[in-house]
Amino acid sequence: MKNRVAIWVLGLAGIALAVAPARAQNGLPMPSPVEKELAARASNVTEVTLGKNMLGFAAKFLDGKDKDEEATRHLIEGLDGIYVREYEFDKEGQYSAVDIEKLRTYFQSGGEWSSIVHEHDKRSGETTDVMMKMVNGQPHGLFVLDAEARELSIVLILGPVKMEDLSKLSGIGGLGVLGDIDADSHGNANRNKDKVKPPKAKTGGDE
Amino acid sequence: MKRLVLIPICFFALAVPLVVLANGVQGGFDQVVSSIESRYHVHADRIPLLGLVNFVARASTRDGVRGMHVAEIEDFNADVDGEELNKLVSAKLGSGWERVIRETSRKGADQTLIFMRPEGSRMGLFVLDLGGHEMDVVQMSVDPDHLSEKLGQYEHHVKD
Repeated sequence: MKNRVAIWVLGLAGIALAVAPARAQNGLPMPSPVEKELAARASNVTEVTLGKNMLGFAAKFLDGKDKDEEATRHLIEGLDGIYVREYEFDKEGQYSAVDIEKLRTYFQSGGEWSSIVHEHDKRSGETTDVMMKMVNGQPHGLFVLDAEARELSIVLILGPVKMEDLSKLSGIGGLGVLGDIDADSHGNANRNKDKVKPPKAKTGGDE
Repeated sequence: MKRLVLIPICFFALAVPLVVLANGVQGGFDQVVSSIESRYHVHADRIPLLGLVNFVARASTRDGVRGMHVAEIEDFNADVDGEELNKLVSAKLGSGWERVIRETSRKGADQTLIFMRPEGSRMGLFVLDLGGHEMDVVQMSVDPDHLSEKLGQYEHHVKD
């Protein structure tokens, strides 16, 4: 009997210890090692991190009196997290193609990602990648990597999200780029012709 | 004999998680401000009659905003390492807070940290802003429903 009590006490203690670090993780990825290096080189860094709890709470600020606001509220409440990083550099050449590839690999691990936009400007060297995560054939995440000469932006949205809903999120800090992606996917047919690739599933690590 | 062994085991098993959790519970606005004061050798000015300001804010926003804490640090001339400041605030703020926005410049002159914490049906907001030689630290508790209603009124006026 005494042994059973001791096992229960040790078990509860273990659970309490396990819960303490888990709280900080909020379902979003930890910053990659490359990001730490980029942050050290950048002149300005902007970070936006919204976990599911915070998104659910932030959604309450939308009163849902009109249709658009109600739709946005519904969209935000359904998301698992939003992760935005913007690095601004004093001069060009502060990051390499290898850094970009490392970032791409890091954020796309876990799940199937399909490339929906890949744009590379040979003259300026600017690249834009938009990937969509598919779970059971449904879009369940979006990753945007926009690399300009002096600026690098990462947007990761986890949860059910459709291309047509992206512009609704563009009001959130750091997500202005999403409005452009939405416009690209619907508007300018000629640009899309050059940019949009047929979805090609990439398989990463474990879910 | 078995009983003698069980007592210290149970004691440590209960004490360790309690210490871990207690570290998370401690902290708050005052601790953050006093830590900044001692780390950067600056003096924070508290806003006089803040209780009255709180009362007015609470009444005028129909309880949309309450529990305001404000500290202003002028002549902030110390060099700031953004990562160090972020760690200091995160550590001293206490449990439940999540950093949602951080803006930092390498030279340290501009730093913005925004933390949020669910407080029942309300939301706790903590904002630290360093611009040039002035740092402002604000904490408040807001009611999203009342506040969005109030903001909606102003939006209506803007549209007119």
